[in-house]
Amino acid sequence: MKILKGISVSSGIAIGKVQIVERQKLKISRNNIKEHEVDNEVLKFENSLQNVVADIDYLIDNLSHSQDNKDILETHKMILRDPELEKKIKKLINFELISLEKAIEIHFSDIKEIFKNMENDYYSQRFSDYDDVAYRLLSHVLQQEDKSLDHIEENSILVMRNISPTLVTKVFAKNISGLCMEKGSRNSHSSIIARSMNLPMVVNIHQLLSEISENEIVILNGDKGEIILNPNPKTLEKYKKTFLKQIKDEQKLLEIKNKKTITKDGKYIKLMSNIEIPEEISQVQNVKSKGIGLFRTEFLFMDTNELPSENKQYKIYKEIAEKCYPESVVIRTMDIGGDKLSNILNIEHEENPNLGCRGIRISLRYNELFKTQINAILRANIVGNIKIMFPMISCVAEVKKIKKIIQECSKSLKNKKERYNSNIEIGAMIEIPSAAVTSDLIAQECDFLSIGTNDLVQYTLAVDRDNSSVEEYYQPTDLAVLRLIKMTVDNAHKENIKVALCGEMASEKKYIPLLLGLGIDEFSVSPGRLLAVKNEIRKTDYQEAKNLHKKIFQGLSEN
Amino acid sequence: MLRKKIKIINELGMHARPATMIVKVATKYRSDFKIIKDDSEINGKSIMGVMTLAAEYGSILELIADGVDEEFLLEEISQLFVDKFGEE
Repeated sequence: MKILKGISVSSGIAIGKVQIVERQKLKISRNNIKEHEVDNEVLKFENSLQNVVADIDYLIDNLSHSQDNKDILETHKMILRDPELEKKIKKLINFELISLEKAIEIHFSDIKEIFKNMENDYYSQRFSDYDDVAYRLLSHVLQQEDKSLDHIEENSILVMRNISPTLVTKVFAKNISGLCMEKGSRNSHSSIIARSMNLPMVVNIHQLLSEISENEIVILNGDKGEIILNPNPKTLEKYKKTFLKQIKDEQKLLEIKNKKTITKDGKYIKLMSNIEIPEEISQVQNVKSKGIGLFRTEFLFMDTNELPSENKQYKIYKEIAEKCYPESVVIRTMDIGGDKLSNILNIEHEENPNLGCRGIRISLRYNELFKTQINAILRANIVGNIKIMFPMISCVAEVKKIKKIIQECSKSLKNKKERYNSNIEIGAMIEIPSAAVTSDLIAQECDFLSIGTNDLVQYTLAVDRDNSSVEEYYQPTDLAVLRLIKMTVDNAHKENIKVALCGEMASEKKYIPLLLGLGIDEFSVSPGRLLAVKNEIRKTDYQEAKNLHKKIFQGLSEN
Repeated sequence: MLRKKIKIINELGMHARPATMIVKVATKYRSDFKIIKDDSEINGKSIMGVMTLAAEYGSILELIADGVDEEFLLEEISQLFVDKFGEE
């Protein structure tokens, strides 16, 4: 028996036969170019280089939380920016009329030779970094699609080096029981999708591919983030029990899929889904979610070097709205930091992006960007079920400014004779303490409020969520946070508007009674957690929860 | 042009992290930067070059900087060696 440790990405146990999907071999079909193609080829090289570096920057900023991972990516970036790489590739293109893809191949196989001939073992291993970079660059240049899944069997555990988001959706459709990757991080798009589909997944397992072999039976533990090879009979038996129980529980949860989300004493609570990418919609439908409470739009701005056009956005929003109709879809305008847009806009580096120009601040500074998004939303709202929500609101003045911009957008759409529907509810995210404190004023200007607990906790307690050395300070149930939530709820109810909660706090079962007690009207959680949360709400007594929160407040203030 | 000989005193030698640190520092400066080990000369701003030096503990390198800010470049790079690249 051997245990390999990784990072837990999506919880759950899976037992099954290993199916390894190899990285697809990149095929180079064009070796030489003509004299007149040289300039174009060089340009293509420069662009590809820039794009791949931007991809890596994105990974560094968003997806890698471990310093090791960041260091590796920094090295990759350096490899791409190596002046010798540029010199050599350009020389091959210019003087030997070799195609870009072939030149890349030649360059990296030369490096491989150098590394291979080194005596020191350590150095010969370093080639893997170059191999990764070469693959990144080549697959970008060739833009090849992966077609390596055709032979996958049902109920197996898929083992790969790394998986793309589209591939996760594809394997899910093939009834895979679990995913296991040598690379990857907790918050990559692929991981997000796996979570939203409740597909057990472990990533970042060192040396996975050299340790594991095709068709062997392994146990994947998504809760602990590990896999067990050659399990002894006792362990296998133990996990089989958990696995069967999990399947049973899942089936049980499926039974309440069509039931209403009401508390034990009959209070109806609206339960919606959070989604980060349009592909998650199928899962939203699967669990019969009451629409979408948070449609993040950041994906539009990721992995791209151009701003998403109004038409592109319109089509995406409209499709989601149509699929959810008659339930509503709350679209949140982009919540990105300037750092993530720096490859598109000319934004200066910020020392502290979390306290910098992000969320609505970007939207208000780059007005055209914002108007494009608002226009697209108003046009998509001809379906009639869209609401719009703004991130990082810190004061009521911002909401007033936004409303003016929405009016301007309506006017300009009218002048352009576009079809649109400006009858749209607007809401503010309450995630900055100053917004919670002034929520009486903000509530007067809004049709609903939505509390984002992740940031609210972070900003109230001054704790970076991703910094493990201050983990103990990240307490969603800190009295200060709970008071701000309560204050927001009370202020909203005074204006007769509803309050939703869309942070991760809502998807943790243990917080549900407390949050209900605080008066939250609606919850929005990842589709993968929806049924479990529904189950918890159905088990909670609303009146008891009301009393519980008072007790908790008292208890916390006495401590 | 400035030249300076330096000995590798960190136990792990010139592995990926020190190589990355050197290139990172070197690319901040405008001067050209070369490293010579035995008979081979490499571009000190090239990660591939620095990594392929395969310089182990105890080996001696010659650093050559040439340009407007050469003395600052050499100073900062030398400090990396002296600090054993942050190795403990």
